[in-house]
Amino acid sequence: MSAAAMTTPTTTAAVLSGHDLHKAFGGNHAVNGADLAISEGSITALIGPNGAGKSTVVNLFSGLLPPDSGQVRLVGADVTGWPSHRIARRGLIRTFQLSRELQGLTVLENLLVTPIDQLGESLVNIFLRPGAVRRQERANVERATEVLHDYGLYHVRGNWARQLSGGQKRLLELARAVMARPKVLLLDEPMAGVNPALVDQIGEHILRLKSDGITVLMIEHNLGVVERICDHVIVMSEGRTLATGRMSELRGNSEVVRAYLGGVLDARLDS
Amino acid sequence: MAPIVYYAFTLLFFFAAYSVLGWGLNLQFGEAGILNFAYIGFVAIGAYITGVTSSGPPPAGSGESYVLGASLPFPLGLLAGGVASCLLAVLVAFIAFRRLRSDYLAMVLISISLVMYDVINNYVPLFDGADGLNSVPMPLSGTFNLDANGFLIFFALLSVGIGAVMWLVMSRITRSPLGRTLRAIRDDPDVVSALGKNVFRYQLTAMLIGAFYAGIGGGLIVEFASSFNTSAWLPAETFIIFAALIIGGLGNNLGVMMGAFVVPVLFTQLPKFIPDIPGHPGLILNLEGAVIGLLLIVTMWFRPQGIIPERPRRPDRFLAAQAPPAPPGGIDADAAEGPPPAPAGATDAETTG
Repeated sequence: MSAAAMTTPTTTAAVLSGHDLHKAFGGNHAVNGADLAISEGSITALIGPNGAGKSTVVNLFSGLLPPDSGQVRLVGADVTGWPSHRIARRGLIRTFQLSRELQGLTVLENLLVTPIDQLGESLVNIFLRPGAVRRQERANVERATEVLHDYGLYHVRGNWARQLSGGQKRLLELARAVMARPKVLLLDEPMAGVNPALVDQIGEHILRLKSDGITVLMIEHNLGVVERICDHVIVMSEGRTLATGRMSELRGNSEVVRAYLGGVLDARLDS
Repeated sequence: MAPIVYYAFTLLFFFAAYSVLGWGLNLQFGEAGILNFAYIGFVAIGAYITGVTSSGPPPAGSGESYVLGASLPFPLGLLAGGVASCLLAVLVAFIAFRRLRSDYLAMVLISISLVMYDVINNYVPLFDGADGLNSVPMPLSGTFNLDANGFLIFFALLSVGIGAVMWLVMSRITRSPLGRTLRAIRDDPDVVSALGKNVFRYQLTAMLIGAFYAGIGGGLIVEFASSFNTSAWLPAETFIIFAALIIGGLGNNLGVMMGAFVVPVLFTQLPKFIPDIPGHPGLILNLEGAVIGLLLIVTMWFRPQGIIPERPRRPDRFLAAQAPPAPPGGIDADAAEGPPPAPAGATDAETTG
């Protein structure tokens, strides 16, 4: 990798950043010195071939895995090695590559489980403050209902989540993340396996999240979508950050195209 | 009174006691997904501690040997059993819940149960080893001047009352946001953690509540029977309680009661009162395990969700009485106010939370 191909990510106004991140599984260095910075209020795409380390980076950011070395910063704090629940409480919420709906809960309950520190999660409050628990639960139900309307899932709110179609599960995962009121949202291939109409719908939802002030980092293979909705693109290869910039800039980066995307990028963007 | 009356009250007692035991394990396994194969160990600790704290010190020359002979009045001994079981749960949780997947956790819990069994069975000064406790006083029998038969009826009814209170408590827990979060952890702990919830804390809560129920259930059994020893909590006993949950309906407190009625009462206790088949003494009792196993297999084949399955909760029920909210996004054209559709496969069984 030449110095010219590597655009050092700026850390100015970065709400989320990773510096010199390393993560190995046995002898496989899934992430090998990655540097990423996500600007506040932006939609950033994380692209690269399979095995580039994109999902591992998301796992390192979200605390599902601790890095072997390097630093993760979130909203001004060093969160390296924090467990995922602490990172989530600081405002970072993620979705998963394969939909991981809570199958034994209804669609509505999938959203209701999201708010943290609910009064009704404490035994003391359940028995000594039932009125306060009920009022908060009602407020949560009303907000969850609004979110379900937004995401077109209201009519299936009473169904087990496992009964949803693949596309509905994608929407549910996004709706559940939104219910958590995140500052930063990590989406791991939010459009994988969904039909073109739903791709557009999910893209619209993501743009709305941005307008609501939520910072989004998304892994996405659909480069047309990336160009349409993302402000920045980070390209990863072999566990490293290869380049950052706008999609239009990367199209002209011959090294990225040739050495990294093997010409696929051009072909897909031209199509 | 006719003997059959005493049989009936004995069965009523076991129904109440095993319902309590079932609700505790259901919270851990059916709601929180903790495959607690050591559950019978928690029942045993509750029984032993209730037994020894309700009894006085071992009489000199009796040959009995146990700790904590405190002569606590009812229900303090029973509560001591529940609390002791909770303390064991804290210990087990800190050993077993850190960084263990559920299958490994189950193996660790089995190991803990076997270690407990060996220690209690062989270390005689603790709870008199294999002989166990044999003279636990009948609670309140002196207060109400009850003979053995009167005590049997009295204590069966008292246990039903205690069970009713524990049912109300458990129903409120499982219907609450806490119960919902436990079910979410059962489904996918990584997702729940990624939503900002400390999974360990909730699992510990489920272990504590479940252990308390185990301890109380064990305490009721020792006070009813006046005796308890290691033969009462062999690994097969754990199988009985798990079978009750699966057959009755995991994740549904009413299903647990159904399971407690079918497995421990109908298939475990009732056969003890059935006369032997001529020429084959003990055959009926010896078939008990095989019959329960068969019942389990048939249930898994034909009704894997149990007799009374888990039902979807309806936390938005109150909205039905209000004006429908305006759909802010307007995307959901199908939205219509009213009850949500019932999931496929749901029955009309009562939702119990």
